[in-house]
Amino acid sequence: MAVGIVFALASLLTVNIAKAQQTTVDSTVINRISALEQQVADQKPGESHFMVVGLGTFGYVSNKITFTAPGGIGQSIKTNSFADADHYELSPMLIWRHSNNLLVEFEPSFDGNAIGVNWANISYFAAPGLIIHGGYFVVPFGIYSKRLAAGWIDKLAGDPAGFDMPGTDFGIGFSGGLPLGDMKWSYDVSLTNGLQLLPDGELQNAGIVDNNKGKMVSGRLSLLPFSNSCLEIGASALHSNAGDAGSNFTSANVTMFGADVNFVKTFNPFLVNIKGQYNRINVTNQNYISPVDSSSYSFANKTSSSFAQFSIRPVGVDNKLLKNLEFAFRYSNYTTPNSSAWGQNFHEEDYGLDYWLTWRTVMKLTYARSHSLSTANVNIGGTPGITDTNSIYLQFSVQF
Amino acid sequence: MKKIKIKTRIWVMMAGAVILMSIILNSCVESQKVAAKGGAQLWAENCQRCHNTPSPTSFSHEQWTTIGMHMQTRAQLTDKERDKIIAFLSQ
Repeated sequence: MAVGIVFALASLLTVNIAKAQQTTVDSTVINRISALEQQVADQKPGESHFMVVGLGTFGYVSNKITFTAPGGIGQSIKTNSFADADHYELSPMLIWRHSNNLLVEFEPSFDGNAIGVNWANISYFAAPGLIIHGGYFVVPFGIYSKRLAAGWIDKLAGDPAGFDMPGTDFGIGFSGGLPLGDMKWSYDVSLTNGLQLLPDGELQNAGIVDNNKGKMVSGRLSLLPFSNSCLEIGASALHSNAGDAGSNFTSANVTMFGADVNFVKTFNPFLVNIKGQYNRINVTNQNYISPVDSSSYSFANKTSSSFAQFSIRPVGVDNKLLKNLEFAFRYSNYTTPNSSAWGQNFHEEDYGLDYWLTWRTVMKLTYARSHSLSTANVNIGGTPGITDTNSIYLQFSVQF
Repeated sequence: MKKIKIKTRIWVMMAGAVILMSIILNSCVESQKVAAKGGAQLWAENCQRCHNTPSPTSFSHEQWTTIGMHMQTRAQLTDKERDKIIAFLSQ
């Protein structure tokens, strides 16, 4: 009996000690878990997120420029330099994801001469297929300026001539991409300050303070007719008052039309890439003042620019060296108004051999040959003649 | 009176444009074939329209989410395309 009581007491004591130890262990684990949870909570980014990416382009260019005056002999100039303002860029891009509906983007840029801003824009993702944005942004017109101009995307060292209009502007815009059965379509429209007509008939962006009461409406519609998105066809249009308020150009209007195509498809083992764009600018007839004798003159202020680009890359071969090589060719044309002070018929051929170090890092070797025939009006200070340029570029470009 | 008529006409036109836009946006439906596409396929088809297809290891999940929004503003991806591509790149 006594032995039984002692055994029962011993068992009770043992169970209590074990329970006490269990409680001690549990509280230690719980405290540790609480500490870890706090650490995770401290690290958790939430909906807000900030990141810096960007792009850099650097290279070497060798030029031979030959100018031939009417009836004269060609005079050549050779230049060699590390980069230049058209082929050097360092642009960090600051992106804030304020929430899942709000994105803030800012891209300063150094081009060798000055620090500028490529865009500073706030986008609100209002609904599926509807993004509302405002600020300083690339005007929706064609595909080159908005999608293809970055050095690590462009397969050739330089930009095609005449694609700097309509450029970047201050305003608001709406854009979106939407399904359409097997197809897809997109829209991108904006309302901005607009363009400014200069005394010689050329155009530039009006800037942050508008030069008149009129605003510029521009937009691009595109259709991707195949379910694999290999083909995109786009059409763009723009209209703007361009004359300074109170100037002789008050009635000046600019109308632009554009068409673009983008075809990308793998025909094993080759990835084939075809891109092209055509732009047309019409400015209503105006009377301009000659800088030579202050007389009045006029001309049909119509400008056109176009490019067609083809590239091929053997992505499907096993050889690492070959699969990272890409050959590219581009033909571009730029025709400015005949009888203006800046008239010319310009065309250029670019041949490129690229080596892709990574998906976003490329070494480009480009040979460019251009020919420009001046159609400028000599009586108002235009320079007649032919300019031939041969250039070789060795360019490194990276997205970081 | 004429001003009031013009204003009314503008408001009617604007309302009509909004209604038309709403109808168009709501009528945009993807086919079953397109709806069945996964993130990997959409990544391969859409990114290379402008540049090489990115390596999923280049950025973290949070960064891909931010970049996805940025790319949607650039390339006018649909919302479903963006979400599926981000999900694939974040794996």
